[in-house]
Amino acid sequence: MSFITNPSPIVIVEDSDEDFDTVMEAVKKAGLAAEVHRATSGDAFLALLRGAAAIRPVMVLMDLNTPGTDGRDALITLKSDPAFRVVPVIVFSTSDNPKDLDFCYRAGANAYHVKPVRHPDHLQAVIEILGYWLGRVALPRNERSTL
Amino acid sequence: MNDYKMQTETSPPWDGQAYSVKRHGVTLTNCDSEPVQTPGCVQAHGAILVLRQSDLTILQASENTAELLGHAPGDLASKPVGVAIGTVAQARLGEFLANEPTDRNPLYVVTLPARGDGPALDLTVHTIDGVVVIELEATGRTDASEPNYYTLVKKTVTRLQTAETLQHFCDVAAEEVRALTGLDRVMIYKFHADGHGEVFAESKRADLDPWLGLHYPAEDIPKPAREVFTKIWIRPTPDVDGGLAELVPLTNPDTGKPLTMTYCALRGASVMYTEYLKNMKVTAGLTMPIRQDGQLWGLIACHHYAGPKFVPYQVRAACEFLAQVVSLQYKAAEDREHYIYRLKLDGVHQQLVAQAAQEGGLSAMTDGKPCLLDGLAAGGAALYHRDRWWRVGNTPTEIELEALGEWLVERPEFVAATRPLYVTDSLSRDYPAAAAFADVASGILAFPLSRAGRNLLIWFRPETIQTVNWGGNPHEKPTILGPNGPRLTPRSSFELFAESVRGRSAPWTPIEVDEAAHLRMMIMELVVSRAERLADLNADLSRSNEELDAFAYVASHDLKEPLRGIHKYAHLLLGEAAVTDEEHRRKLEGLMRLTLRMDSLLDSLLHFSRVGRAALQFEQTDLNEVVAEALEMVDARREESRCDIVVPRPLPPALCDRVRVREVFVNLLSNSLKYTDKPRSRIEVGFINTDEIHSRPGIPDGVHGHTIYYVADNGIGIQAKHFGQVFKMFKRLHGRDEYGGGTGAGLTIVQKLVERHRGRVWVESTLGEGATFFFTLPCDDGGHHVVHH
Repeated sequence: MSFITNPSPIVIVEDSDEDFDTVMEAVKKAGLAAEVHRATSGDAFLALLRGAAAIRPVMVLMDLNTPGTDGRDALITLKSDPAFRVVPVIVFSTSDNPKDLDFCYRAGANAYHVKPVRHPDHLQAVIEILGYWLGRVALPRNERSTL
Repeated sequence: MNDYKMQTETSPPWDGQAYSVKRHGVTLTNCDSEPVQTPGCVQAHGAILVLRQSDLTILQASENTAELLGHAPGDLASKPVGVAIGTVAQARLGEFLANEPTDRNPLYVVTLPARGDGPALDLTVHTIDGVVVIELEATGRTDASEPNYYTLVKKTVTRLQTAETLQHFCDVAAEEVRALTGLDRVMIYKFHADGHGEVFAESKRADLDPWLGLHYPAEDIPKPAREVFTKIWIRPTPDVDGGLAELVPLTNPDTGKPLTMTYCALRGASVMYTEYLKNMKVTAGLTMPIRQDGQLWGLIACHHYAGPKFVPYQVRAACEFLAQVVSLQYKAAEDREHYIYRLKLDGVHQQLVAQAAQEGGLSAMTDGKPCLLDGLAAGGAALYHRDRWWRVGNTPTEIELEALGEWLVERPEFVAATRPLYVTDSLSRDYPAAAAFADVASGILAFPLSRAGRNLLIWFRPETIQTVNWGGNPHEKPTILGPNGPRLTPRSSFELFAESVRGRSAPWTPIEVDEAAHLRMMIMELVVSRAERLADLNADLSRSNEELDAFAYVASHDLKEPLRGIHKYAHLLLGEAAVTDEEHRRKLEGLMRLTLRMDSLLDSLLHFSRVGRAALQFEQTDLNEVVAEALEMVDARREESRCDIVVPRPLPPALCDRVRVREVFVNLLSNSLKYTDKPRSRIEVGFINTDEIHSRPGIPDGVHGHTIYYVADNGIGIQAKHFGQVFKMFKRLHGRDEYGGGTGAGLTIVQKLVERHRGRVWVESTLGEGATFFFTLPCDDGGHHVVHH
């Protein structure tokens, strides 16, 4: 597929450096051709998408509890914006609270994964998520929607 | 009150002819119909002349005129009055009648000079029904020591006006009347609402026995006598043994009617009355009414014991005036007293409500200081509040109160929209079962404390007969026969009276009823403000639930994130080639194990907080299916421990939250599977029916009436001293890695889930032999107690 030669832009919304490192470790370990952008808060994430150097990710891996505008608000904003509604958002959170799951799916999240505390499990989870969304799934074409 | 007499009454002996108390007398059964206002006789110490008003011709004269006036009645008939009293007095009389208001109002006219060996006579006159009534009696005046009655009475009135209490007022009245008359004993006799009387104040010769505080049956002063006292202001009986002098002729020759003697000071006393006085060794009497608005409130009753006592007209006039003053002032004194009582009740009730508010319960009203009995005058009080009785003073037993309470809440008075009060001074008339406890509760004043439910407050008053000090000894044998036939004595009248007031208490006054209603209002306001406080607390509670939610997030995310970091670094360090040292390796592995343990503790905490808050879904559930599912969930562990799990008989269906009850079974089963040391363990899942509970010892209170479920094992068991601890959060009785580890939250969660079903969980165990966990699910009662959270 074309994105293997042309790395696909993905956005990781994550305020924890350790957890972000784990994502980078997973990208490296799985040999994924991904152009990884990081936002440490909901506001930074929205700025990344809407700013001058507007990035148009093929997918977003999003932590919920980020400083300032948190992942929930960012998710709602993104999914209610026709320009970005098609971009898959995969929630990756420590919380297994049914309320959070319910909230995220209602807001249009495409998947919800719970972060394990055990590092090997955590790493494996990221490899599988990214491998699936970047390798298995047929994604919408990376063009600005005219919706 | 007097109905019982009417039933036995036959025609009186004077029926169909003119009555003379001297000839016909009176008996016990007819005393209430005795024509006391037309006795046909005068007291023999004085004489009476009845004149035709138009020409002052003598129509009737008392049979004793010969002794007092020198002319027998026969000589006086149809003669001008001057024949009897002289022409000077006749002229004075004619003038007096023309100018003074003499109708039904006896007034002094003149003193006839002494005649021969006879005394000087005071002449008083009044007119009634077309006749002029002249009364003549020996004047008591000795010109030497004429006291100034005006000054005496003026001093008395001033003292009466400054009296602060009704009691003091009456004490003063008694003292002053005695000083004025010189009689041996002066009593202020007060009538109660049921007609019986009480000596309320007394002034007496020092050597006499006090009668103060004694009560006398209503029959001691018959109805006709009371009626007379609503019309006249004074009633002298100067010589109880003085005898009677009959009118000649007995009826008015012009009209054929007997003379109405209501206003005659000389009116012949009923034989009943004089005998009654004689029984008390009284030789002379003087009685004045205390009345207001035509209502007889009491009497100023004076007794003399040392022979006849003639109170002259002028002193009588002063007494009469005093009686009128007392009557007028009495009302003011009574109002003052009521006002003070009302203030006292109000003060005590306010304190009671303040106390209840402070202590958060109404029980302070019976147990506190002050209590309910410090307010309203009552023998006892009881309060039904928080599903139990609170009692103070003399009350019926709790069993009797139970039945009374049930009866009261059904009373129409209790469901009235305004002032729902039930008030009676004769409870057994409405509620026959009350006869059994009439001694403590003949009268009750009760009100409900809530619109629904049976919370109520009751005051009790004992039977009147029990509370008062009766005049004489009620058990003394009554004198049945007097010289004139069967006679009412104080004691025989007591028997009659006791019958008529059986099961009755002193009545509740309008002030008491008002103040009770006011207390009820204050309690209701308190309850309403409590309800508002409760609503505030509920709001606080839901706020703190939200805070608990926030805490759960802290636990799940904010604590877990660094934990994940720690685990990661330990993992990375372990992976680096540098860590070859076995000691370092072991420590890093320990660090990672601890982070994982903390992770599972956080998970348990999180789960527990959710168990307490999540809404339960109650449905009719087949518990056999639930147990089967639970067994599947613990299957892995079951394989490990080689265990037989038996369900001896199918479980009955229950109304419960299926998922939560499954979790209860899962936790109890895992627990039993874990804590075993037997090579082949056995677990039994069963239930105890409500009708089987009695045969089992050790069942805690409060679970009777509910099916009990249990999970029993033959494992290591628990020491009795640890029974309570096993349900505590994170409390483990064994080492962390013994018996398969675990966070120690399983039983805490079981307890929480069972409590959410309003049930109880408890354990029975013998160390080394096994443990049995019991629980109830009371929400399954009949299926209509569905709880919404």
